Amino acid sequence: MRITNNMLIDNMLSNLSRNLNRVSKYQNQLSTGKKISLPSDDPIIASRALKLRTDVAEIQQFRRNVNDAVSWMEITETTLAQIGDVMQRVRELTVDASNGTKTPEDLDKIKAEVEQLKIQMTHLANATYSGRYIFSGFKTDNPLMDENGNFLIDVSKGEQIFYEIGIGDDIDINVTGCDLFNDGSPQVIAGEKSSLISIFDGLISSLESGDVIAVGDQLGEIDKAIENILRVRSAVGARMNRLELTANRLDDDNINFTKLMSKNEDVDIAEAIMHLMNEMNVYNASLSVGAKVIQPTLVDFLT
Amino acid sequence: MSSSTFFGLDIATRGLYSAQRGLTTVNHNVDNINTPGYSRQVLEQRAARPILMANGTGMLGTGSEIVGVRRIRDEYLDVKFRSEVQHLGEWEVKQTLLEELQVMYNEPSDSGFNTVLNEFYNTLQQLSTDPSSPANRAALKEKAVMLTKYFNSVAVHFEYLQNDINEIIYAKVQEINSLADQIAKLNQAIYSYEITGNVANDLRDQRGHIVDKLARLINIEAYEVSYGKLPNGRDDMRFVITVSGKPLVDHNNVSHLAVTQREEKLNEEDIPNLYEIHWADGNKLVVRSGELKGYLDVRDGNDGLNGSPDFRGIPYYQRKMNEFVRTFALTFNEGLIHNSDGTLEKVYGHVDGYRLYSEGDTEPAGIRFFTMFDEYGNPMSSDVFALAGGPDSDNPDYDAMYRQITAKNFSISLEILENPANNICISDRAGEVGNIEILRSLIDMRHNPYMFNEGSPEDYIKTIISCMGVDGQLAMHYLENQTVITQQIDNRRESVSGVSVNEEMGNLVRYQHAYKAAAKMIQTYSEILDILVNRLGV
Repeated sequence: MRITNNMLIDNMLSNLSRNLNRVSKYQNQLSTGKKISLPSDDPIIASRALKLRTDVAEIQQFRRNVNDAVSWMEITETTLAQIGDVMQRVRELTVDASNGTKTPEDLDKIKAEVEQLKIQMTHLANATYSGRYIFSGFKTDNPLMDENGNFLIDVSKGEQIFYEIGIGDDIDINVTGCDLFNDGSPQVIAGEKSSLISIFDGLISSLESGDVIAVGDQLGEIDKAIENILRVRSAVGARMNRLELTANRLDDDNINFTKLMSKNEDVDIAEAIMHLMNEMNVYNASLSVGAKVIQPTLVDFLT
Repeated sequence: MSSSTFFGLDIATRGLYSAQRGLTTVNHNVDNINTPGYSRQVLEQRAARPILMANGTGMLGTGSEIVGVRRIRDEYLDVKFRSEVQHLGEWEVKQTLLEELQVMYNEPSDSGFNTVLNEFYNTLQQLSTDPSSPANRAALKEKAVMLTKYFNSVAVHFEYLQNDINEIIYAKVQEINSLADQIAKLNQAIYSYEITGNVANDLRDQRGHIVDKLARLINIEAYEVSYGKLPNGRDDMRFVITVSGKPLVDHNNVSHLAVTQREEKLNEEDIPNLYEIHWADGNKLVVRSGELKGYLDVRDGNDGLNGSPDFRGIPYYQRKMNEFVRTFALTFNEGLIHNSDGTLEKVYGHVDGYRLYSEGDTEPAGIRFFTMFDEYGNPMSSDVFALAGGPDSDNPDYDAMYRQITAKNFSISLEILENPANNICISDRAGEVGNIEILRSLIDMRHNPYMFNEGSPEDYIKTIISCMGVDGQLAMHYLENQTVITQQIDNRRESVSGVSVNEEMGNLVRYQHAYKAAAKMIQTYSEILDILVNRLGV
């Protein structure tokens, strides 16, 4: 093939630009830290990157949801523990009052304490988490009951607040007032009296009348109420447990998916530097060879 | 009998002339070494017609003579180059523009669609953990605005690009016309020059170069046809360039191309008044390749829909985005969602929700979360938006209602914009601030694999982006291949026609020696004649 000077120059230029393109590719990878900058660089990496970003964003949001759920349920659990303590104390007082050795003054004192415990119980029924009443079902802006133990709102067991803690995986985080304060009844309507508070009222009136036998008779009711509270507590405990497991899993997922994401789109620095160096060498070599080849012609030697 | 006294001088003079012409040719070649389209020229010389000696001693040589100056060119390579460079032009344009489109989507990144959608859903989740918080509600509004703005901005940028390409197409048509005019003028010049039997070397090179330029712009075929015989017996050759069969240049006549603004849009997603290219005489122009085809495909390509080019260009992506926002809004607002069998199923949507402060309300608020900007650029209220659904408000024409939305005018509704704290409706019963039944349904939609044919919302966008990525990659590969092919042909052309400095220097020395030798001959004859004339002492 006949070779002309312009062919040499043109070919050298186009090869140089091709080399420089490759240098720029690796240089770009190293300076951005990403394997691709446009989907067309590698459509498969691009579409996987989109999927993994969504996954990671979702996992992180689920983790936040779990945190919120845990805080809510921790408040619920503490409140339930306090309610249990109140009932335990009521039971002790009832047993104490019904042993038949108390003077009317003693019974008065016990009655005063039971009255205080009743008020505490109604306060616990109106416990809040960041301003929201935790036992009020969906009506979190309304307190559950007044000081006499009358429900202020309708609450049904169906008013379960669900938090999403995984795709298609949600957990109900609230205990409804009807379940806890009305012996597990499916619903209560506003104005109805809480069955739990009724026990207090019965106890107080028995103590007032000094009817020790009647006081003793309340024990059965009290035990039933304590059992109901324990049932609710154990359900809450089980859900707390589930939340903990979910939290652990989400933490693991977060790490795994972030790792996957990085593996998918982040550049292997060592490899990229090696490629860059390689391309730089090729580029340098082609520059120096090109400079040598394109310069001399016969002109340089004719004298 | 011997030859005449001065015959030797004559021969030597011819030698001088030949060598001189040779040097001129070398000079011309060297001067034009960098002239684009130039083909090297070689001197054709031969031995002059000899004199037959009557005494039987044979032929007497009479020196050299110049037959002509020939241009070294392989016409086949020109044809080949032109048939390949049109594809190079086409894919160069497509590759550049597809890259531009990808940049507009800005994926994968931390500010593209994916991020915007993720953040929108994250705030929905956040709201579900504290549904009565005004802060969470305001945040949801902001993220929804971000989501709608993303689509507005991409759609507007696509429109800008479509407009830019439209202007480029206009400019390219002018360029084609101007090149055609130049070629016609050169045809005339070459024809009148060559009618006398000469070859218009340099003019032909000029014409060839312009034809190469034209071939990059549009699919052409260029050839010389015989129009019969000239009086001197030579073929009457005329140069013709056709575009898809119709002559653009016929010897010295040019059929121009022209543009008119379209009365009717080709694609409903197009901006108005795009240019339609046709022949100036009104005939339809078919563009098969070249830069012009590249621009047309990207401007009009809607995957072959309604007679548009079979290419995924701007209208295709606009259509896909419109489809997305329509379906997304329909599902989110009305709770109408596709089932696995393709039918619409009614679940809870935003219209079924009650406001935050809805104590005593007997009906859901009926607020649509997403609507569109009206003609003045203000977000439409839910009711105004629903007017398009027809008079029967219980059973509206959802298709008509949501067809109004495009990616460009997608917006949140006036109600949400003005009072997000109260008007975001996520409760399915009145007066229950902790009720998130509607919200849960809205969140569930994200993972509904039947929301679009392509799957969930993320899948849909992923499909668009990877489709664009694959097209971009394909264009890149075509371009690379085409570059190699064209370069190779161009190399071969250069190999045949290019000027080589070494060769020219060799010739320079060759002709210089010949010149010197001829001059020496003259000197020798001069001495001989000197003896003959001056010293014989007659």
